Amino acid sequence: MIRMFDRSKRVRWLLVILIVASLAIVTIDYRSKGNGPFERIGHVALTILSPIQHGLVTIFRPVGNFFAGFTEVPGLRARVSTLQRQVAELRAGENTVAEIERENESLRKLLGIRDRYNLNTLAAQVIGVSPSNFERTVFIDRGSRAGVKKDMPVIAGDGLVGRVIRVGASTSEILLLIDRTSAVASRVVPSGETGLLEGDGSENTKLELFNPDAKLGVGDRVVTSGYDRGLYPPGIPIGTVVSAPPAQSNLSRVVTIQPYVDFSSLDYVLLIIGQTATSSPSPSPSGTVAP
Amino acid sequence: MIWKRTVLLFLLTITGLAFETSVFGRATLVGAKPELLLLMVVVLGMGEGPAFGATAGFVMGLSTDLVLQLPAGVSALTFTIIGYVVGRARAQVQSPGAWLPMVMVSIATFLGVLFYAAFNRVLGERFGALSVVRAAVLAAAYNCLLTPFVFPLVRALGARLRPRPSEVGL
Repeated sequence: MIRMFDRSKRVRWLLVILIVASLAIVTIDYRSKGNGPFERIGHVALTILSPIQHGLVTIFRPVGNFFAGFTEVPGLRARVSTLQRQVAELRAGENTVAEIERENESLRKLLGIRDRYNLNTLAAQVIGVSPSNFERTVFIDRGSRAGVKKDMPVIAGDGLVGRVIRVGASTSEILLLIDRTSAVASRVVPSGETGLLEGDGSENTKLELFNPDAKLGVGDRVVTSGYDRGLYPPGIPIGTVVSAPPAQSNLSRVVTIQPYVDFSSLDYVLLIIGQTATSSPSPSPSGTVAP
Repeated sequence: MIWKRTVLLFLLTITGLAFETSVFGRATLVGAKPELLLLMVVVLGMGEGPAFGATAGFVMGLSTDLVLQLPAGVSALTFTIIGYVVGRARAQVQSPGAWLPMVMVSIATFLGVLFYAAFNRVLGERFGALSVVRAAVLAAAYNCLLTPFVFPLVRALGARLRPRPSEVGL
């Protein structure tokens, strides 16, 4: 009985120690604002994880894509059960072919956007996604050894993806456009109105226009303006206006933008190292920039 | 035997984190990801008691914090408390049914996500109330679906490497 009491007391002490340790870590990390010891340990953790992530992505990507579709399309289970073994066999083959086709399409688009905007780029494969439901970031298989630097803009074949926020030796983390902490100086085409595009954690983003009387409509395109201290080159496609309610105040107007990039199926991305000297990103004569 | 448990904890953490950031990062349930490491903490708390539950929670939570951009230590705190509480709660159940793991995983995940978001809010992070509740409900549902696959595996590993009483001073 005494031993049980002792044990119970020890467990409570253990809990107190662990809670105090957790709170100490919170305090240290909060005060260091992203430059503390845990940031550096995080780099090491990502470096350890990256080869495993790489392997798992290679093995499970077709399964993951299939499963993603499976969970998001109600009623698919009923259809699958009626088609039974024949469909299962066909699906195994289809998954492989569809995966290769999708990969080819993705790479073709990447080459297209790189050439269209005369960008010096570094290609990378997406090997992981943030485990949090409150964060929208992905991990890529390139790090400082490949020349990746913090704040490098990242694009995919369809347009802007985000920017590099953490660099390890062989892996890096990209903050997606749709993360609630992301902000990109943007311009609406063809009106030329500018604003700040912010993510809210959902699949869409909000564009806060500086001019509340801006004239724009659903379907207008949004590109980077290049005003954010040169972080993003101007003219990179971001998305289209899907909802443009009137201004709620005299100070600004917020419209909803659907990004061109499908963030749930990112495979390959390009990190922008710079632009070739011969040209700048060239919008078409109408001033619009196609994704 | 204790060093074997340390290795087990390390391997479970690395494997769980790798799966969480690769496979389950894409295989979402209506846009939500499961809380795989939190699920493991609940299973270990249920099987091995509050002390190991809290320790596993701290290790797995801190590992999760290291790959996130949100303040480090919050997952560690959340998982530690969940591991301890689940271990204590499990001891109160006299005749556990087959449904118990799924119920405990669902409740613990739901409360864990809410606590995590609330603590981050105290630190100045902005989360929409609706998106937090949505994430908590969906993560709980996802974890509940994964329980029949994860529970037997983690439980068996934990039981196999359970230290003898003499090794823990009893």
